[in-house]
Amino acid sequence: MEKRSPLATFGLYAAAISACAILLFPIYWMIVTALQPATNLRSYPPQFWPAAPQWNVFGDILAKHPYAMWFMNSILIALATMIMSLAVSILAAYALSRFRLKGGTGLGLFILTSKMLPATLMIIPLFAIFKSVGLVGSLWSVVIAQATLIVPFCTWMLKGYFDTIPPELEQAALVDGCSPLGTIFRIVLPVAAPGLAATALYAFVVSWSDFLFGRTFLTTNDENWTLQMGIASLKGEFVTEWNVIMAGSLMASVPIIIVYLFLERFLVGGLAAGSEK
Amino acid sequence: MATVEFEHIKKNYGGVEAISDFNLHIEDGEFCVFVGPSGCGKSTALKMLAGLEATSGGTIQIGGRDVTELGPGKRDIAMVFQNYALYPHMSVRKNIGFGLKMAGMPADAINSRVEEAARVLELTPYLDRKPRALSGGQRQRVALGRAIVREPKAFLMDEPLSNLDAKLRVQTRSEIVKLQKRLGVTTIYVTHDQTEALTMADKIVVMRGGLIQQIGSAEDLFHSPKNIFVAGFIGSPGMNFFHGRVETGARGPVTRFGGQEIALPDHCASVVGRDMVFGIRPEHIRVGDSGPHVGLSLVENLGTEKILHFHTPGENVLELDRTVMANDEERDAQTMLIRVIDDHRYNDGDTLSLAFPVDKIHVFHPDTHEVAR
Repeated sequence: MEKRSPLATFGLYAAAISACAILLFPIYWMIVTALQPATNLRSYPPQFWPAAPQWNVFGDILAKHPYAMWFMNSILIALATMIMSLAVSILAAYALSRFRLKGGTGLGLFILTSKMLPATLMIIPLFAIFKSVGLVGSLWSVVIAQATLIVPFCTWMLKGYFDTIPPELEQAALVDGCSPLGTIFRIVLPVAAPGLAATALYAFVVSWSDFLFGRTFLTTNDENWTLQMGIASLKGEFVTEWNVIMAGSLMASVPIIIVYLFLERFLVGGLAAGSEK
Repeated sequence: MATVEFEHIKKNYGGVEAISDFNLHIEDGEFCVFVGPSGCGKSTALKMLAGLEATSGGTIQIGGRDVTELGPGKRDIAMVFQNYALYPHMSVRKNIGFGLKMAGMPADAINSRVEEAARVLELTPYLDRKPRALSGGQRQRVALGRAIVREPKAFLMDEPLSNLDAKLRVQTRSEIVKLQKRLGVTTIYVTHDQTEALTMADKIVVMRGGLIQQIGSAEDLFHSPKNIFVAGFIGSPGMNFFHGRVETGARGPVTRFGGQEIALPDHCASVVGRDMVFGIRPEHIRVGDSGPHVGLSLVENLGTEKILHFHTPGENVLELDRTVMANDEERDAQTMLIRVIDDHRYNDGDTLSLAFPVDKIHVFHPDTHEVAR
């Protein structure tokens, strides 16, 4: 391999550091904003670190707002969406990967196409359906709406992963006396664990970040508000305490950051798995 | 242990007939090898026996029981796959014991059976390793262990040696044969390698295009092939073929090779005046003092033996479809081979006199490709 010149190495590191700085700056600015009084936010020149950081803002938000309830609702929705999406997409992806169905390729592409539909396009029909079955205001409305968006992509992610598992593994299990469903649970899913972790993480993150569906279906029931709805409600008509909003947003990011740090290796492996033959 | 019976088995994929009217009886404890070129239907036949492919017609019996409609797990068979198909998330111990666990055997009994199988296959030190920590040969032995531990009625093996290097392949080949003889379990083995078939099998089934070409022992197939395909497929290098007209000579039927008379078997008297296809194996051609003269076009020295190439005389060149000539794809139809084991130093361009022993000449009908008797 040809050795890189010092100038090229410098350029590469400079580009990487610049990219990291651009990506991390919003998080850094959230921290700076959260830690200084709202009155300082528009001061010039801007302060890149507050002279007297106000750490009590994190305690205040928990004390003055039902933050814990919003957090719990978001966790419930994200977990339920993740489980529901995985349950459906595992079986769909397995069928698309393993069975030679007439029109199977077309069906697979149709499923993927449904992912291309913007969420806003689906809101009105979904609202009409949920209203008719009495789900508006219920956490299930957001879970089901999220799943309709997440399942198609999860199906394709998992199909790509299942395609890399040799069918002989399942055939061996069948000969060993395993039932067809048993081969999925005993052989295919354990072997596809990295792909499942990546898919589960994707479903959790997408669902956790939802604002649109929550705002549409849960507005009438403030006991079921999600974290994103709660944080948005902190913006007042005349006064907005940006430091409180940023503190809430930072705390909302923590679960995702922690999960990312733990599963990053699986996530990258899972996303790349389908690309190899 | 059990007999295996295929009766009028068919397999269609849409409009394509992959296997037609497959009939075969395998004796209890027999080692039967399905051999043939890629796409001949040998793996499909094995998968139908395993229950991994549905049949399109006919019945399959194992131990006298009709298993045609039964799932793979209910046929009491064990299968070894080309790519080992070991469960990567399980240890060697769990891989070997998986079938017993599925059968509902108590954990203690599973453990003792697994340890016994591991002892036989010299896998004891590796029982708690994952398959990825094993070499190719060890993985193959785990796959064998998974098969033998269940004490099934039949072993099914789908090209189990293909992924091993040449040396390990030869070693594992003999280990499988010894194991099969020791256990006495009916074994059906699929390979495209005719050397494996000849060295391992009690019974060989040669297939082509979904049809059985010949069933017999290695000796039967080698010495009495039923058609040009089998004659060309079995043996390495394959049989030489040439074309000629049967004439009446002074001492019986003859044909001409490079203008000189070659004696033919007596049964050729019935086809005097007809064009026929003649076959002779490279090791049966003798280099002598009289007989047709040929010039060597290439000498391949393989150490103990030499393969001598010469051009088939123009009037004897046989125009046969490549698919009929079977696996010897590198063979030029206009070239014949001689296999010699001697200390003589042969060079390209040398002229030799050849003798074709009459009892080693095979005669085939050019239109049906069947042997003439």
